[in-house]
Amino acid sequence: MPQHCTPEDLALAALGEPLTGADAAHLDGCAACTAEVASLRRSVEALAVPEFSAHGPAVAPPAHVWTAIAAATGVTATPEGSARVVPEEPARTVEVVPLRPRRSRLLLAAAAAGVVGVGIGAGAVVLGDRDDEETTVAVAAAQLDPLGENRASGEAEVVERPDGSRVLRLDLDADAPEEGYLEVWLIDPDVVGMVSVGVVSAGTEELELPADLDVDAFPIVDVSVEPLDGDPSHSGVSVARGQLA
Amino acid sequence: MTGVLERPAVTRGSSPPARRTTVSVVADDVLPLPGASLEPDDAEVGRRFAAGDEQALVLAYQRWSGQVHGMAVRAFGPGPDAEDVTQQVFVSAWTGRTGYRPESGPLPAWLVGVCRHKIADTWAKRDRQRRLAEAAAADAETRPAPAARPLDAAVADRVLLLDELERIDQPQRGIIELAFFEDLTHAQIATRTGLPLGTVKSHIRRTLERLRSRLEVDGAAALHA
Repeated sequence: MPQHCTPEDLALAALGEPLTGADAAHLDGCAACTAEVASLRRSVEALAVPEFSAHGPAVAPPAHVWTAIAAATGVTATPEGSARVVPEEPARTVEVVPLRPRRSRLLLAAAAAGVVGVGIGAGAVVLGDRDDEETTVAVAAAQLDPLGENRASGEAEVVERPDGSRVLRLDLDADAPEEGYLEVWLIDPDVVGMVSVGVVSAGTEELELPADLDVDAFPIVDVSVEPLDGDPSHSGVSVARGQLA
Repeated sequence: MTGVLERPAVTRGSSPPARRTTVSVVADDVLPLPGASLEPDDAEVGRRFAAGDEQALVLAYQRWSGQVHGMAVRAFGPGPDAEDVTQQVFVSAWTGRTGYRPESGPLPAWLVGVCRHKIADTWAKRDRQRRLAEAAAADAETRPAPAARPLDAAVADRVLLLDELERIDQPQRGIIELAFFEDLTHAQIATRTGLPLGTVKSHIRRTLERLRSRLEVDGAAALHA
């Protein structure tokens, strides 16, 4: 076995940072290093969630929230009147309503419209496209169909490498968004939970999947347009989708 | 909490505000609500808040309730649950204000940290309620309880890990928070904090090990819940 990755690099890998070529290649084939990354990743997955990011859109709480705080703390100070301090602005709220409810509705609507369930090519297909005698195995695949008025489409495959790590191989035919970028997600059948797999552009790309991600639990492959707004959660604007089978 | 990257050397320095613009994470990015520009600057609000000045609670709410509520709404959708979290954040920040030390970070970052705790607690509470309901339903229909949802472990992990984060000293805590909550790479963290790349890497490594140990020690039960 060649030299192992350094503990520091394995920690970075657990955070999702790409390693340099040699380290990445080693990690690919080394069960010990891969296991180490997986064990460090559990806390990353628990904490590095969009809900904990401080950079989502601000939403003004309704006025009664302050009333309740004032009552609970006994604080009576209200400079300039708290009505102005805590504006009730329905329009503003609509504008910044965050993604969880919005995307859930959108996704559910799309699911109801029969978008999902168009998977192709289940089962294992030996592809044999890697160097040397290495082989990779396609464990699931999905045809991606356009959503709404988009013309994006493509194919997605979950491919297992010889060391057991998996990648999502995406062949995407899509226009570059006018603003923002394309991001790929795996979504659960209830369209509630989702995992961001990475940023993509049109063409063929491979995105590494988290080692312990249960792909069966997140069988919907979704491509969304994400604005460059610093908000890591799903924008609710999907352009293509399919279901792994 | 996010943004509390100040090191002792900095804190003791003569110009903390200027330094803060390079190390603070949240304070300068906060979108203040309208009317927030009056009088004291954020640092002053933080000091007064810690000292128990009621006016500072009002000012803090004016400036940062939008950010806090935005997080709550992202976690629970608009409505009573999110409002409850926002309310809890400010009530508990006020009653626990002696736990806020202005010299170790800006107040909004501390509030955001409190908000993470409240969100994680609410998730855990909901999870307990759901499992109780499922168990009751299973009893009623005398069929086996449904398999534990995969999220259960993560819900318990979060409460545990946020608690452990609290115990980590600076600058390690600030570094890992930049990685977790700001999605910065270690190179970006080094740039942001002015710490050497190697230092950032070894801090990240040790912190992830520490979090893993905490899960191994206290998180095992959650895995088998």
